[in-house]
Amino acid sequence: MGKEKKPAVKQPGGKKSSLSWYKRMDFSKKTALWGMIFLLPWLIGVIFFFLRPLVNTFWYSLCSMDMATGKLTGSFIGVDNYKWVLGVNPDFTKHLATVFLKMLQEVPFQIFIALFIAMLLNGEYRGRGFFRAIFVIPIILATGIATFDLAEVSMTEQATDSVVNMAWLQNLVVNSGLPEQLTSLLVEYVKNIFTVVTTCGVQVLLFLAGLQAISPSLYEVAKMEGCTQFETFCKITLPMVSPTILVCLVYSIAESFANVTVVQNDQTIKFAEYIHKITFNGQPAYYGYGAAMSFIFFATSLAAIGIICGIVSKGVFYYD
Amino acid sequence: MTKLSRKERMQKAEQMAGISFWVDLRKGRLTKYAIQKQVKRMIAMIFRYVILICLGFVVITPLWKLAKDAFTAPIVLGDKSSIWFPQKLSTVFVGIATSKQVLDYWPNVAYTLGITVVLTFLQVLSTGLASYSFARLKFKGSNILFVLVILTIVVPSDALMLAQYGAFRNFDVFGLIGLINGTGVGINMVGKPLAQFVLAGTGMGVKSGLYIYYMRQAIRGLPISVEEAAHVDGAGFLRTFFSIVVPSMSGTILTVSVLSFLWNYTDTYFTSLLNPNVRHLPYKYSNLQSNVRWAMDSALKKNAEWLTQVDPENPFAQTALISACALVIVLPLIIMYAFVQKRFVQGAARSGLGGD
Repeated sequence: MGKEKKPAVKQPGGKKSSLSWYKRMDFSKKTALWGMIFLLPWLIGVIFFFLRPLVNTFWYSLCSMDMATGKLTGSFIGVDNYKWVLGVNPDFTKHLATVFLKMLQEVPFQIFIALFIAMLLNGEYRGRGFFRAIFVIPIILATGIATFDLAEVSMTEQATDSVVNMAWLQNLVVNSGLPEQLTSLLVEYVKNIFTVVTTCGVQVLLFLAGLQAISPSLYEVAKMEGCTQFETFCKITLPMVSPTILVCLVYSIAESFANVTVVQNDQTIKFAEYIHKITFNGQPAYYGYGAAMSFIFFATSLAAIGIICGIVSKGVFYYD
Repeated sequence: MTKLSRKERMQKAEQMAGISFWVDLRKGRLTKYAIQKQVKRMIAMIFRYVILICLGFVVITPLWKLAKDAFTAPIVLGDKSSIWFPQKLSTVFVGIATSKQVLDYWPNVAYTLGITVVLTFLQVLSTGLASYSFARLKFKGSNILFVLVILTIVVPSDALMLAQYGAFRNFDVFGLIGLINGTGVGINMVGKPLAQFVLAGTGMGVKSGLYIYYMRQAIRGLPISVEEAAHVDGAGFLRTFFSIVVPSMSGTILTVSVLSFLWNYTDTYFTSLLNPNVRHLPYKYSNLQSNVRWAMDSALKKNAEWLTQVDPENPFAQTALISACALVIVLPLIIMYAFVQKRFVQGAARSGLGGD
């Protein structure tokens, strides 16, 4: 795509008159022009393959859909679909709240574990190549090839949880006299650690790259000035890796919203699947209803990302 | 002059200055501080290895099980003695998996890798250009457009499935193509890799939004003064991007390329939607899961030696074959990553340039 574009871009430079037109432009305008040119491939993609379908879905959500004549037709009914989803459906708002709370609970832990693993993997030690290669395996296995395998292929049904007996730890924490909400959260975290480790491969890779990009001279300076390890972490590692934290937050929140499960009719299903089931239950009348659900879902996840990243980005360090 | 790694240089410097723990130990001039430091270092090392090995065990177990199932001899399948390590090794199932009737491995892996390389290149190029625009070449409304990037991350791709399929089934740009060829309908791009290339090249491929966001963050982390200097020296925008920005964020680009390669290779969603081609290995694999018995039957009939060993009715043999298939499909990725991960350090050493 980029190669095709080049001659088209240089064309104004070819003719004398248009060259002077380009040269007379001030720098900020040139920047804006080139910004649009650089963005062009993405903009085409976003308009044709993303916005158009999205706007279609939004239109469905404002309509009562019908397929009586064999063709999908909609009649405009305003925000009634949204009213039904939020006001009449007993499950949707409950599920949405569950998803949101689970996300709040999961994401910080995931980020913490990912940064921790990345810091362990980073640095000079024997066999680092081996360990770094190992921690990419979850990314490969999580992409459909082996989600099936994890459950089906291993002929010995030995869940990873059963390898470690958690009962004594649970007792210890529960009887420690801490508030119950805190202990249950703690136990939940420890129980989930295997899942978290196998799902945070991408974050580990991003953090590893972020840590590698920190200039070693900064650490040398810190060492010279007599910083302790903890101070070095707070004053150098954390600020320098903070842009990556933001990326990982966005990714983790989006993934969490996509993968969190809810309990519907004693069945544990993903929230997105729940919406999908309602939308395509065989009656076209539900298309608009399902589209409204999808939109509320998107809006919630976007708002969550916006708020959390808005707060976090205040503390992010950039060179400029 | 031979190039020494950082660790070797540090060791050399420490030895020359005579502050190494082992040198001090030999010469009998250990201070309390030096001992403390060495003990701390040892503890940190043990801590690191214990945690890495434990977590590594969790992570590697699925792959190990996969390999174990794939290399188990047909006689000991499902045997209690072969839970972690097969009592008798054999390559029968790998042989069946790579055979013409099941995966037709060698030509198909070349096809899949070829497509994946093109997709990765297009995707990294389009997202890289877009992310530079978002980070540095701001214009009115680019912040609003950036919200769209986050929206592309948030909106799950199957929510747009039907509409995207429609867009490629009847590919048209504002009705222009239909006008030109006179039929009024666009081109049918479904079933050709071209449809995937268009998606990747326009920054809508697998997880493109994440790459744009990630590279934008990386570019914002670079010192802007280098680019300003390039502009002052008369470099155009394309030149600044390709000869200043790209080299200084080579580590980031490498990460994105690796992720893009992994996800494009294993992607079955876009493949099954836009290019349902049995030569694409992961797609073939996802189809295989439902009719593994039939495929195994036809493979066994071609080879008399296997026929005597393997019973296609045996469910253990079927799962063993599936895991052998999964293993040979995943293998190129692991080999590739094993080579690439060394460059992670090198790419980073260069990006230490910044720092005003």
